[in-house]
Amino acid sequence: MTGTLALMGAGFINALSLMNIIAMAAGVTIGIVIGCLPGLSAAMGVALLLPLTFTMEPSTGLIVLGAIYCGAIFGGSISAILIHTPGTPASAATAIEGYQLTLQGKAGKALGVSSVSSFFGGLLSCISLYFFAPILAKLAMKFGSPEYFWLSFFGLTIIAGVSSKSMVKGLISGALGLLISTIGMDPMMGVKRFMFGQSSLYEGINVTCALIGLFSMSQALILAEKKIKERKHATKFSDKMLPTGSEMKMLAPTIGRSWIIGNLIGLLPGAGASIACFLGYNTARQFSNHKEDFGHGAIEGVAGSEAANNAVTGGSLIPMLTLGIPGESVTAVLMGGLIIQGLTPGPDLFIGETAKMTYTFFAGFVLIQFLMLGIGLLGCRGFAQISRLSDAILIPAVSVLCVVGSFAIHKNFVDVVIMMIFGVLGYLIRKFDLNNAAVVLALILGPIGEKGLRRSLALSDGHIGILFSTPVCWVLIILCILGILSPIFMNKMEANALEKAGGDMPNETGDDPVLSSD
Amino acid sequence: MKKTDIGVVGFMYAVCILFLSMTLKLKKGAQTYPIFIISLLAALTTLYLIQMIVGAKKNGVTSGSEDFEGFLPSQFFPLLGMIIVYLVVMYFVGFYISTIAFMVLSLLYLKISKLKILITTIVLLLIVYCAFTMFLGVNLPTGLIFK
Repeated sequence: MTGTLALMGAGFINALSLMNIIAMAAGVTIGIVIGCLPGLSAAMGVALLLPLTFTMEPSTGLIVLGAIYCGAIFGGSISAILIHTPGTPASAATAIEGYQLTLQGKAGKALGVSSVSSFFGGLLSCISLYFFAPILAKLAMKFGSPEYFWLSFFGLTIIAGVSSKSMVKGLISGALGLLISTIGMDPMMGVKRFMFGQSSLYEGINVTCALIGLFSMSQALILAEKKIKERKHATKFSDKMLPTGSEMKMLAPTIGRSWIIGNLIGLLPGAGASIACFLGYNTARQFSNHKEDFGHGAIEGVAGSEAANNAVTGGSLIPMLTLGIPGESVTAVLMGGLIIQGLTPGPDLFIGETAKMTYTFFAGFVLIQFLMLGIGLLGCRGFAQISRLSDAILIPAVSVLCVVGSFAIHKNFVDVVIMMIFGVLGYLIRKFDLNNAAVVLALILGPIGEKGLRRSLALSDGHIGILFSTPVCWVLIILCILGILSPIFMNKMEANALEKAGGDMPNETGDDPVLSSD
Repeated sequence: MKKTDIGVVGFMYAVCILFLSMTLKLKKGAQTYPIFIISLLAALTTLYLIQMIVGAKKNGVTSGSEDFEGFLPSQFFPLLGMIIVYLVVMYFVGFYISTIAFMVLSLLYLKISKLKILITTIVLLLIVYCAFTMFLGVNLPTGLIFK
């Protein structure tokens, strides 16, 4: 206990260094810009800027990525409120009440409520990050090779969860990702596999290149296929932004409920901020004393949605950091950030020197929320103008950044070609209802699962019984079965939430809300 | 069932055949895991094929064109072509020259005003220079010609 408190204290001291504060401010600003642009998504932003964190201290690099993640989730609400176009699917429910408030000349109030609710949602989610992460990490320390095999298998069953449209197609995407993950040197026998004569594929497909291609380049291609539309002018506003004391008193229970919802959704693999925002919104309406205001500009609706989607951020990091299992696309990309820094997601992050880095990141995550509030409130007017930036400018600009980002990894042109191949593949995957997140999860988890399986079999002289030899194995097997069945519950939950939310659904966002969970 | 899904199934089987042919050239012990994954992919694809056939009998066949609603081939393919040509040109003349050419041509093609093209290109190059060359110390491709 004392050790943990000491780590927490040291984490805050490290996180408060000038370099980290600058990194947080830059990350939050970039995140908000990405979030408020309807063509871009949080996963895409984090993937695109991943190479910039290579030379940073691991904790600073993670803080930057975390700041972009939180900023993007919040930023989506700005365009949702001002131009009725959610920047990310996570703000789809915010648009319902937020835009109504804008039409009534209360855009400032809506943005203020959104900023404050996002702040509290994000801040409170850090509590669960501090509380649950070390507990889960301690449990994971007892894992051997068979458990790691099942753990990665459990991660892969999440693929079914993130593939709401067709479970089989999601699993096909996962199997394709697994096959791609076998490219490179065989981990046990040292044999070259499927390298197509390229020595740069010796260590396998570079996950960062694949991430940039699948999430960022494919997004540029998605934007390129449709007619470039002029976006609405963002409404100018001059009303008071900060909620009054009585308004805060009214919003406090809504924010509290949305925090719990967002946290639980964040912990659930396969669920994400886009589901949380609707659940938060519905719950706010259910418990409101002014139900008649909903659909006509209720600030409780904005608070319910925004507190819930930002509460997802902290919760979603827990399974990724402690078990090495990313539950959805943004955390999969963040996991790529950890791997780039030479760190292995899992219990090792909570031991020795690495624990200092982890707790610095946690402390940074707390401070990010404060910066998000400040930058959000002060910069709303500027960000509102950015949200009008034309897709015609975004397409070539994003393409260039994808090229530079993938080249910067190893200063190798082959990586650029790999990124481009994954970009086209990612585009086709999205067009044919397959799943990019599933491919990424399989690319990350494939090598872990392969090592776990083959080491287990080597230890037991090929007896498959070793995979069923401990109670933890059986718990993980049950979780795998639940993972496969999860789409049934997820679909029901999302359909219920959407149906209850009703209202005027905006539909132009960075991603398809069904397929992406950022 | 959508007609476009036939292409998805065909693509997956083609991937299986390609990887299987390469796997069979590996050492015996190194074949097991890839064969397991290839079998998994083939089995899931076959499962999807069965679902498609059942779906076709129940609900009929659609063209799948709804997935491409609003698709502008006259915009998409030239832009995709420009990106590919940009990569090829970069290999020979380096990053900065190829990027300026790509930005100007693609933005002109997307009917952006000349002033905006100038501003966008300068801002983007400045961001790349500051973030990658100055901050990360990455020497961006200089191109075969200038080596």
